[in-house]
Amino acid sequence: MAEPLLEFRDVRAGYGDSVVLDGVSFSVAEGAGMALLGRNGVGKSTLIQTIMGFTQFLSGTIVWRGREIQTVKPHLRARLGIGWVPQERDIFRSLTVEENLVVVARSGAWDVARVYDLFPRLKERRENKGNQLSGGEQQMLAIGRTLMTNPTMLLLDEPLEGLAPIIVEELGESIRKMVREAGMTLMLVEQHAEVALEMTDSAIILERGRIVHEAPSQELVNDQATLDRYIGLNISA
Amino acid sequence: MSTLIAVLFDGLSYGMLLFLLSVGLSVTLGLMNFTNLAHGAFAMLGGYVTYALVELAGWPFLATLPFAFIVTAIIAAGFEVVLFRRIYKSGELNQVLLTIGVVFASYAVAAFFFGTVHHSVELPGYLKGFVEIGALKLPSYRIFLVVVALLITTVLVGVLEYTRFGAMVRAAVDNGKVASGLGLNISVIFALTFALGSGLAGLGGALAINILFIDPNFGFHVLVPVLIVVSIGGLGSIWGSFVAAAALGIFDVVGKFLFPEVGAFLIYLFMVVILFFRPNGLFARR
Ligand SMILES: Nc1ncnc2c1ncn2[C@@H]1O[C@H](COP(=O)(O)OP(=O)(O)OP(=O)(O)O)[C@@H](O)[C@H]1O
Ligand SMILES: [Mg+2]
Repeated sequence: MAEPLLEFRDVRAGYGDSVVLDGVSFSVAEGAGMALLGRNGVGKSTLIQTIMGFTQFLSGTIVWRGREIQTVKPHLRARLGIGWVPQERDIFRSLTVEENLVVVARSGAWDVARVYDLFPRLKERRENKGNQLSGGEQQMLAIGRTLMTNPTMLLLDEPLEGLAPIIVEELGESIRKMVREAGMTLMLVEQHAEVALEMTDSAIILERGRIVHEAPSQELVNDQATLDRYIGLNISA
Repeated sequence: MSTLIAVLFDGLSYGMLLFLLSVGLSVTLGLMNFTNLAHGAFAMLGGYVTYALVELAGWPFLATLPFAFIVTAIIAAGFEVVLFRRIYKSGELNQVLLTIGVVFASYAVAAFFFGTVHHSVELPGYLKGFVEIGALKLPSYRIFLVVVALLITTVLVGVLEYTRFGAMVRAAVDNGKVASGLGLNISVIFALTFALGSGLAGLGGALAINILFIDPNFGFHVLVPVLIVVSIGGLGSIWGSFVAAAALGIFDVVGKFLFPEVGAFLIYLFMVVILFFRPNGLFARR
C-alpha cells in the first residue's frame, strides 16, 4: 500500500488544560477525499486546527509524507502543502479581494486567473474590501485564497455553513468542480452529511474527541442507522 | 503678513520632523499593539550616527542620512528579535517597563560615548542659508525637512498600500493566526515592520539634530511630542500621524509666537481638546 499523505497516530490535543482530541488515528491517501462528520462541538475544527498546529499538542504523531510534523510551525506546515480554509472564513478585511488572493500566493497551477475562473463573482468584486462581501462571497474568497497557496491537500471546515440554499448549490458545484479537475486531496468537515459523503471517498465520524465510526462514503450514505445515531437531525441537508 | 507665513512654515517644518519621529511608533503601536517607549531612543541612535559620521568621520551630511536609517533599522530589528517579540502578548505594563528601561540604558550608553553635552552638526552650505520668495525668507533647511517628509510619506503609503509586502503587513495585522496558517511568516513580517518604523525614527533623529540638538536625554525628550502626535493622529494611521504632526508643529510654533508666556502649554491644551472630542484620535484605525 502506498504511503499515506497525512496520518494521525493516537493524537491527543486541546486548548490549555482541556483535552479535546483524545486518541485520534486516521490516514488520508494522496488524491483521496475524506469527510469529517459529527455534531456541533465534538472537535472537528479542533482536529483541523491540530493539523495546522494551532492547538496544544499533547501526545501522538502527525505524519505528512512520511515525516513527523507535530513540532513544525504553522506557516511551515502551510508551505509543506497543507491548505487550511478556516471555518470563520476570516477574510483579511483591510485587503481587497484581489489582495487577499495575491498576498498568500505561492507558485503553482493556481493563480488569480484560475481562481476567478472558478469563482466568477470574485472577479466582479476584485476591488472591494474583504469586509464588503456577502457570506457566500467570503466563503468563495476563503477557498480561493487557500488555493492560491497551491496546496496538495485542502482542509475545508464547513464551507456551506450559514449560506442561503441557492448559494450552497452554487458553491457546492464549484467545490465539486475544483476537486474533480485538480485531483486535490481533501478533508471536508460538514454538517450536511449527504453533501460531504457524495464528494468524498471515505468518512470518519467524531464524537467527544474520538473517532467512533469509519467507513467508505458510499457505504455510510446508505447506513441511516449510523448517521442517525451520531449525526442525528443534521442529515436533512 | 510674510512674518506670519514664515512662522507658519516654521511650524509646518517642525511638524514634519515630528511626523518622521512618530510615524514608526504609530505603526508599531497601532498595527502590532506594541507599546514601544524606546522609540525615542532609536531616534537618538540615528542622531548620533549622523553626528559621528559628520563630525568625527568627516562625511557630508546628506550621505549620512541613509546610514542613520539603516543602522537604526538593523539595531532595532536586533532588539525586536532578542527582546521585544517575547513581550508582544504579555501586557502593556511589561512592555512599558521593558522599553522605558531601554531608554534609561540608552542614556547611559550615549553619555558614555558622546558625553552629556549638546551636539549639533555642521550643515553643508546649501542647507544653511535662506530661500527668498518675494518678501518671504524661508530657511533652506526647513524647506529640506518638508520635502524629505513628503517624500517619505509618499514612499511609506506606497509601500503599505501598493506592494505585496504592505499587503502582508496588513494581513498579519488583520489576523495573524490565519496569515500564518496560510504560510506567511508573521515573525519576520513584524520584525521588518518594526525595523522600518524604527529606521524612520533614526532618520528623524538625524534630521532633528540641527533643530533640537542631540544629547543623551533625547530619547526622553522626544517621547512627549511623539506620543501626543500618535494619540491625536490615531493609532496605526499614517495620514493621522501626518495631519496630527503638522497641526501640532504649527500650533506649537505659532502659539509660542503669539502668546510667548503660555506657549509651551498650548500643545497640551491642543491635545486635551482633540482627545475630548475624538478619544481615539482623528483617524483611528479601530
Ligand atoms: N479556542 C478554544 N479554546 C478552548 N476551547 C475551545 C476552543 N475552540 C473550541 N473549544 C472547545 O473544544 C470543543 C470542540 O470544539 P470544535 O470547535 O472543535 O467543535 P466542532 O466539531 O468544530 O463544532 P462546530 O460544528 O460547532 O464547528 C468544544 O467543547 C469547544 O468548546
Ligand atoms: Mg467547527
